[in-house]
Amino acid sequence: MEPIRKEELDDQACGSMAPKSKPCPRPKPGEAAGGCSFDGAQITLLPIMDAAHLVHGPVACAGNSWESRGSLSSGPSLSQYGFATDLGNNDIIFGGEKKLRDSIDYIAGRFTPPAIFVYSTCVTALIGEDMDAVCKEASDRLGIPIVPVNSPGFVGSKNLGNRLAGDALLQYVIGTGEPEQETPLGVNLIGEYNIAGEMWDIEKLMNQAGITLLSRITGDARYKEITWAHRAKANMVVCSRALLGLAKQMESKYGIPYFEGSFYGAKETTYSLRQMAFLLNDREMERRVDRLTEREENRLAHDLRPYRKILKGKKAVLYTGGVKSWSVISALKELGIQVVGVGTNKSSDEDVQRIADRVGDDTEYIPEGGASRIIKTVRERKADIMIAGGRNMYVAMKEQIPFVDINQERHKAYAGYEGLLRLAKELVDSMVNPIWKLASSPAPWDKEGSYDR
Amino acid sequence: MSKERIDIPDYSTLFTEERYVQQRENKKQFEAPCSDEAKAEALAYSKSAEYLEKNFERKAVVINPHKACQPLGSVMAALGFEKTLPFVHGSQGCNSYFRSHLSRHFKEPTPAVSSSMTEDAAVFGGMSNMIDGLQNAVALYKPEMVAVCTTCMAEVIGDDLSAFIGNARQKGAIAEDFPVTFANTPSFIGSHITGYDAMIKNILSQLFDRSGQTAAPGTGEEGEKLNVLLGFEPYTGNFAEIRKILNAFDTKYTILGDHSGNYDSPANGEYEYYYGGTKLADVPKAANALGSLVLQKYTLKKTQEYISGTWKQPISSLSTPLGVKATDKLLEAISQLTGLPVPESLKEERGRVVDAYTDSHPYLHGKRVALAGDPDLLLGLIGFCLEVGIEPVHILCSNGDVEFDGKKWKEEVEALLATSPYGSEATVYVGKDLWHLRSLLINDPVDLAIGSSHVKFAAKDAGVPLVRVGFPIFDRHHMHRNPIIGYQGALNLLTLIVNIVLEQLDNNPSGLVDLVR
Repeated sequence: MEPIRKEELDDQACGSMAPKSKPCPRPKPGEAAGGCSFDGAQITLLPIMDAAHLVHGPVACAGNSWESRGSLSSGPSLSQYGFATDLGNNDIIFGGEKKLRDSIDYIAGRFTPPAIFVYSTCVTALIGEDMDAVCKEASDRLGIPIVPVNSPGFVGSKNLGNRLAGDALLQYVIGTGEPEQETPLGVNLIGEYNIAGEMWDIEKLMNQAGITLLSRITGDARYKEITWAHRAKANMVVCSRALLGLAKQMESKYGIPYFEGSFYGAKETTYSLRQMAFLLNDREMERRVDRLTEREENRLAHDLRPYRKILKGKKAVLYTGGVKSWSVISALKELGIQVVGVGTNKSSDEDVQRIADRVGDDTEYIPEGGASRIIKTVRERKADIMIAGGRNMYVAMKEQIPFVDINQERHKAYAGYEGLLRLAKELVDSMVNPIWKLASSPAPWDKEGSYDR
Repeated sequence: MSKERIDIPDYSTLFTEERYVQQRENKKQFEAPCSDEAKAEALAYSKSAEYLEKNFERKAVVINPHKACQPLGSVMAALGFEKTLPFVHGSQGCNSYFRSHLSRHFKEPTPAVSSSMTEDAAVFGGMSNMIDGLQNAVALYKPEMVAVCTTCMAEVIGDDLSAFIGNARQKGAIAEDFPVTFANTPSFIGSHITGYDAMIKNILSQLFDRSGQTAAPGTGEEGEKLNVLLGFEPYTGNFAEIRKILNAFDTKYTILGDHSGNYDSPANGEYEYYYGGTKLADVPKAANALGSLVLQKYTLKKTQEYISGTWKQPISSLSTPLGVKATDKLLEAISQLTGLPVPESLKEERGRVVDAYTDSHPYLHGKRVALAGDPDLLLGLIGFCLEVGIEPVHILCSNGDVEFDGKKWKEEVEALLATSPYGSEATVYVGKDLWHLRSLLINDPVDLAIGSSHVKFAAKDAGVPLVRVGFPIFDRHHMHRNPIIGYQGALNLLTLIVNIVLEQLDNNPSGLVDLVR
């Protein structure tokens, strides 16, 4: 395995603004830390739906993680299979390269995938498996791309894993194919994973504006379409923290301009579509986008009315990772919700700057996790709702705090104009549900007042 | 609110709309290198008998594994003890998987921390991570005990837990007398049940050793108590059920490893980190108990060896007591260990369950089923099936071959099957995965599959309804709250299975529906 140039990667992943003294936040021993680089790499690449994804390591690295993501597919499901080389004690001692070779051969023979992604794990990295060589040899022999993804869990955080997956795409996939016809208005979406089908809503909007979605990197992607991503006229980085480096390198290598944007909230969505039109440098396109966004915003404003009535003035604590920390704030603000606390745990300096641009001075920044810290903010700021991911959800339930799940396991799509409507409905539904009144009222025989908050 | 409600379709209906369907069609051009015909052909082949054989010859790759790893079991074991913080020594992502895995099954938070080892630790070892980690964790989460288990990374580089913890004490990161139990739990050996066993055994032995006590079974105040070990128990309801049974006997007991508090805590306005669990002080005392009752004998292999070897206690070993006969055995075992007679209330309950059996048996008789799960659970399920006239056909145990003697387990399963004509059709597959099961379900069809949520896709491919039993169950709510052991559990299992059969009858293609079953 090539040595991983951590400093350089950290620098790219956190953005050029990250001061040297403060690289990517390092995991702190003794806390309930988030996912690892292996996890991050898988999140980025698993949405390539027709490819096979083989985990080279003990069976549980696959066993603990497969079937756990809400990244939807419109067709092929091969990416949902949990493939693992299942290294045991003997393989740790004698090496697992033969097993890897055989596994690749079996998958290629049986499932005829367009490509196989092979993930290293802590174990294979530590025992020094030469995965790159095995993949190269198998690739030459079988005639399909076998892509090594060198992102073992211990190298760092989930974000670093996203970044390493981006490296693998750049090194092995992008630029290896050509689209059938030239697409002068082709745009790539980078760092959009089609959670709960969000990408389909975005794609629909782009189609309506006449913008071609050239390559999805990687929500509901097919391997082939990523091979020609270098022919795009612009890149939009949807999750900036994860794959900004990929966009930067595509800019320097292929001259494709990029911008960072979001589809959470009407304003962000409109901005993103306009920005695409601007980078495509097509007057007619810009006019079309203006007409579309105006129409959609008007319609949304009308549809949102009943929800805004309820949501106006409500307070929320937002605890999520990376780009969502700032992009969701815009969406919430449009709904009339005040964000009184926001997690900055996994945010880069640029993200934090964007948060600051969007919230007022009295919003509390929650720099590190721990359920108690989040709950404390909810209590002190008298928040009406908590918006976070699955691992914090059940704590909110215990504390009787209305909750909306925003992370990758969720089942609702919140992107685009329709997505904002869905988010509004979800927030209202969660807040007005009668269980909260029931939960916080004392039982009839209980003479004490309602639970002290 | 209802007046102003706008219809917002969820993805279950939204994406069936024409515009999305069209979008989908357009994307097919990218689906290299397969045409629709080639795909259909491959799918047909994957369902053929020829492929079944090829699939079983597969050596290299595991497809859709049906097991989790050792430290996941250790985390669950640690949560069974009072104010104990599970501490996963190794790279951080593993811990994150364990927490979400367990949380999504129980729908409850999982407090657990990691020492977050990175590349530096790979080179220099994980000692400083352990020392800092213990210090931070104890300061932040204020546990009364920390239970350390290892991930692959710490195992591969060969971290010495005992020495590291000793150093942490020496450096003052944690107090000299602060209990830290630890177990080596490499994920490349065994599975979640092996890890559960390792941690339980070590918590018992290490807390006992610390206490300086000597084991004297059947003496003192504890001499009237029974130790009860449930094993890797995904059902919080089973803890309540075993308590109900023991209370009916009016015997005293200590449950060693009770995570039901943590995974069934009330929503009363304030989240605490620690709920319930076996009292730490009760652990060394358990060495003087009258005997130990083990409800997952294959899971708790090392723990039993320890209890009989060091504590020198009589042990009654059972597999998950599912169904009437297995519960009978459970009651006999309690009776034998305590000398108390089987209480009337349970006898009556038994009668009611037998009555329920008789009501339902016409719909279950001769139903062919496939079973997948952990070794002890499978033994229980097979027993249940045989006693109600269900025929097990495919029995698949992904983790039945590792660590403990898989042969012995298989022999016991086969002996159990041989006790009944309903067992004559069954084949036992040890160490196979869910892709194997898919082939079996398609080529030798059954009426029902019984197993965890992960069995869903194989069952769906084969058009077989799935009865969700075991771990993990992600896609249904509250299954774990209802017991499946004891007479009540037998009734619950019966209800679950027979109603799926009845629902199938209602959905039959003839369209005939009646109201008189």
